Amino acid sequence: MSEFDVIVVGAGPAGSSAAIKLASEKMNVLLVDRADPPGSKNISGGVLWGNDLEKIVPNWNKMAPVERYITSKGVGFLTKDSSIDVNIKSRKFLQGVTGYSVLRVKFDQFLAKRAESAGAMLVSGVTVENLAFKDGKVIGVVQEGDTITADTVILAEGANPRVAIDSGARRPIADQDVAIGIKEVVKLPEATINERFGLTSKEGFAGEYALGFLEDGVEAGGFLYTNRESISLGVVINMGHLRADDKTYSFDIMDQFTDHPSIASLIENGKLSEYSAHLVVEGGYNSFPKQYGNGYMIVGDAAGLSFSNGLMIQGMNYAIASGILAAETAIEAKKSSDFSEKSLSRYKEKLMESFVAKDAYNFKGIEEVTWGKLAHKIMPSLMEDVLVNMFLTDGTPKKHLTELIRKAMKENNVKSSDLLMEGYKMIRRM
Amino acid sequence: MALELVVITKIVPDGSEVFIDPVNLTLNRSLATNVINPADENALELALQVKARYGGRITVLSMTPPFAIPYLEECVGRGADRAILLSDKAVAGSDTYPTSLAIAAAIKHIGKVDIVFAGEKTSDSSTGHVGPGVAEFLDAELASYVSSVEYDDGYVIATREFEEGTEVVRIPTPAVVTVLTNSNNPRKASLRRKIDAIRQGVIVWDLKEVGLPPDAVGLRNSPTIVKRMIPFPRRDRKGEKITTDNIAKLVDVFEQNKLIKGGE
Repeated sequence: MSEFDVIVVGAGPAGSSAAIKLASEKMNVLLVDRADPPGSKNISGGVLWGNDLEKIVPNWNKMAPVERYITSKGVGFLTKDSSIDVNIKSRKFLQGVTGYSVLRVKFDQFLAKRAESAGAMLVSGVTVENLAFKDGKVIGVVQEGDTITADTVILAEGANPRVAIDSGARRPIADQDVAIGIKEVVKLPEATINERFGLTSKEGFAGEYALGFLEDGVEAGGFLYTNRESISLGVVINMGHLRADDKTYSFDIMDQFTDHPSIASLIENGKLSEYSAHLVVEGGYNSFPKQYGNGYMIVGDAAGLSFSNGLMIQGMNYAIASGILAAETAIEAKKSSDFSEKSLSRYKEKLMESFVAKDAYNFKGIEEVTWGKLAHKIMPSLMEDVLVNMFLTDGTPKKHLTELIRKAMKENNVKSSDLLMEGYKMIRRM
Repeated sequence: MALELVVITKIVPDGSEVFIDPVNLTLNRSLATNVINPADENALELALQVKARYGGRITVLSMTPPFAIPYLEECVGRGADRAILLSDKAVAGSDTYPTSLAIAAAIKHIGKVDIVFAGEKTSDSSTGHVGPGVAEFLDAELASYVSSVEYDDGYVIATREFEEGTEVVRIPTPAVVTVLTNSNNPRKASLRRKIDAIRQGVIVWDLKEVGLPPDAVGLRNSPTIVKRMIPFPRRDRKGEKITTDNIAKLVDVFEQNKLIKGGE
């Protein structure tokens, strides 16, 4: 008989959600995280959408250490000299549930502690080394030569899933699976943040940026969101490109982003309090690895359940949802005492029925757009030329808009056929 | 005969996250996460080495509120045999004097003890009082600033380290040794031992259990009075960058700041 019903490796949103769900159904769960306190090595670049968390931690937003409720969203197209921002602030955001900005070190610790108080055993500061196998089935985990047994192992290791890969439970990471994320947390007084973004203390802003000022070929997107007393901002850079070009440095791209006039003014006089770099799962339907097998399931980033390509960053909500689905599957497997690959394939079915896979499927190939030339290069420079010419008063008569667009296209060397093609791709993918 | 070893430990705020409140001039620990006092980790490691060599039982003892329990489980996870938490509201506000008294009382309650290991000092108050204080109340021999320990038939041979050199002392048990920060590499807990530690749990004692009246401890019995706190003036960096293609400038700056002597 196994020592635990389930061992969950990794206490991020995916792992802790799985553990909360399992423990609250009286399953005997071990939740292990390599960091102490749990989650203190975890990094995110986005906003937490909490619909699924609500199912396992009712009223979580009243208890969890959240920073701000996102009432204002933006997309910015940055060129060398200009920024063209589309911001939406809507009262309608207040009716539904939108997202919260969270600081992961605090938030992940909260979730892990919730799992513990629900009855899971939480061990932090210990790194699981491998999966334990018997007759081709995963029977637990290996750490310092000891095997700790469980009927089911849920791997929730995040973007760099060493155990899953080293044990052969998932295929190795390919360049197209991941990007590099760099993030800074800049401290500023609450009042200053409110003033700069036009917010009250509980409201927050989250924006994503096309970095049109980058040298041709460099693919990176920027993000920025407000915490209570700090701003998190960073860039996500396509891995394939960085590898191909040894003149591009990730930190240079970050510097260019933070030095951009419209970003610099938002963080002016702030104090840099954190600087981090992390693998980011690009995800997408086409890069899903196998997510289950005999005696194990893979959840969250480790299972490629994330989006972070150029203009979109989503992951924590998928992590939470997949953690819950894996937990449900483990509970059903226990009822039937069947932990085989076939039994655990229910997890994949649940995933495919859920918004997690549906989002991924619907946005299949979105990376063509979010990393694409239209969003990052053509649109920013075209818009800049058109809008600057439209508003710049230089004594000459105003030109008609179509004429401005034609001129801008010519100056930016954009062919109508390219624009149509890229535009078609964008509409099709989105 | 197996040695009875005790490691005393304090859970402290992580030093890098503690700052002086510029208004109240008090230590602001509210943002800090807690850690096992760094020198105590070395004390535990030394005790584990002594146990490995001579055999025995290690009890980790801490006088802290119950939030310390996970940290004590960590100590057992690293190889201690059990952990005792001395927790009592009456000790609130105790300075190093009643703290030493209460810890000594708990050690006496354990019974016959051969060696007590303590960190040389805590990272949050740096007095270095409690180890020697415990030795005093136990009427035990003391070796402070110790980097390594051998045991020889009722005697502790301790190597003490100073800036001027080292000193090897031979003292009879029961003995208290205070262990230098960074004098060894503390091992990590393994998953197996950590699981067992959590299942085993921590023994909780109060003052009554160790036979100490509440009016012997606490703020009233603490002779220390904090009169005032003076923060060091903050030195802001100029943020000037000198790159390698301007070595001459770099040399100038070093010379001006008397970091190097100018040559001909």
